[in-house]
Amino acid sequence: MNQARQLTFSIFRYDPQDPNDKPQMVNYYITETPGMTVFIALNKLRETQDPSLQFDFVCRAGICGSCAMVINGKPTLACRTLTANFPSAEISLMPLPGFELIGDLSVNTGKFMRELAERLQLWLHPSDTAMDIHRIEAPMAPEEAAKLYELERCVECGVCVSACATKQMRDTFVGAVGLMKIARFELDSRDSRTSDDFYHVIGNQDGVFGCMTLLGCQDACPKDLPHMQQIAYLRRKMSISVSNL
Amino acid sequence: MAANPLPAKAVLLTDKPRGFSHPKWAARADRLQSVTGVLLGLFLIMHLHFESSILLGKEAFYQVAQFLEGGIFSETGHGYPILTQVFSAFMLLIVVVHAVFALRRFPSQIGQWRALRQQMKFLPHEDTHIWFWQMVSGFLLFFLVPVHLFAMMTNPEIGPHLSAERVVHHNAWMLYVLLLPAVTVHAIFGLYRVSVKWGLTTKRFALLKFAKVLIAYLLVLGVASLLTYIIIGRSLSLPVVPFVPGL
Repeated sequence: MNQARQLTFSIFRYDPQDPNDKPQMVNYYITETPGMTVFIALNKLRETQDPSLQFDFVCRAGICGSCAMVINGKPTLACRTLTANFPSAEISLMPLPGFELIGDLSVNTGKFMRELAERLQLWLHPSDTAMDIHRIEAPMAPEEAAKLYELERCVECGVCVSACATKQMRDTFVGAVGLMKIARFELDSRDSRTSDDFYHVIGNQDGVFGCMTLLGCQDACPKDLPHMQQIAYLRRKMSISVSNL
Repeated sequence: MAANPLPAKAVLLTDKPRGFSHPKWAARADRLQSVTGVLLGLFLIMHLHFESSILLGKEAFYQVAQFLEGGIFSETGHGYPILTQVFSAFMLLIVVVHAVFALRRFPSQIGQWRALRQQMKFLPHEDTHIWFWQMVSGFLLFFLVPVHLFAMMTNPEIGPHLSAERVVHHNAWMLYVLLLPAVTVHAIFGLYRVSVKWGLTTKRFALLKFAKVLIAYLLVLGVASLLTYIIIGRSLSLPVVPFVPGL
């Protein structure tokens, strides 16, 4: 048996609520265990060394999207990152840039996602507005359902927003998560919105035509969503629909 | 749908925007930037190959130049340099259109520049770095390309001796040393980006690798041609006599 490694975690610490606090990197040391993820290590650190350490988690299985942070320069989910991936045994943790900082590694992605959903109207606009709960829903082709399900896998972790230099440069840009969700409703046959309606929402410099194809979203998405293809699809779709305006 | 809650005045103000303010220009700008970029990129690949025919000898380059100047349509077999002038003016127009729409992408405020640099430092990412260098090279090209095109419009004579004279005795080598790497990097990565931007390919990493190989190849080709012109130019005595084939 190899001797267990000693890991060094360099963690960003700052409480914006405390006027006397200053942002700093603090080192923590912990013994690696088999199959350890950054998420497990953080919980252990909080339990045994520093109960004031702030970070978010719910599901510990890559489903809730809460534990996104910047791990050694790459934004990703802490629960899906094995410490064994870092041969140097040194791991730096920073909060996701581009979001309101709650404290330490915790950022307010919820507020961002809610504002985005309201701005882009990211909910189904049914073609049939008559409310009748006894009516049987129209069937959907399995291929269409599979396509929608693929895009529904987004966990709103905010990694694509942090990995996007365009978004960092232009705060009003909707980012990959917004475009992904628009693409999801655009593909949905139950949604009454036309290409023209979507053009008025994302057919501008803050929408699909503001994307400079830097592909940070594509390369960092922890759910491996097809951002590149979806944004290209929307770009083509919006570019064609412009002739009807 | 709910009634429009905007007051009448606001409706009046936003009613039927004209010209570039019309929302359709967002899509048009993106398309025009890509189309002009592809035209310029493909032209560059051909251009570098045509002028590198000097590597095969003066005779080869002479024939290529005469052919492109429309030599087959003249009785003497000599081309018409005015074609070079007209084509240069046309390329300048394409460059202007491309530049107008590509300008949207530049960080126009110091805050945006800082955000970009900080992002690149904080989250190293290859495609973001590539875009950064494309932006820097694009900025240089604002100044370098018009100089080159202006020279071709005012002094369109192309030939093994005349081009070598331009490179050495008119000091065009200084321009080309900067222009060659800037335009090659900008054009080839630009073609790569257009392909992934519009979804023309799904094999992104293979394409990126191909783009890098192509850049290396074009740089070698360009540098070799430039060196050849410099060697020819230094061997010429002034005043330069145009090359005559078969002598």
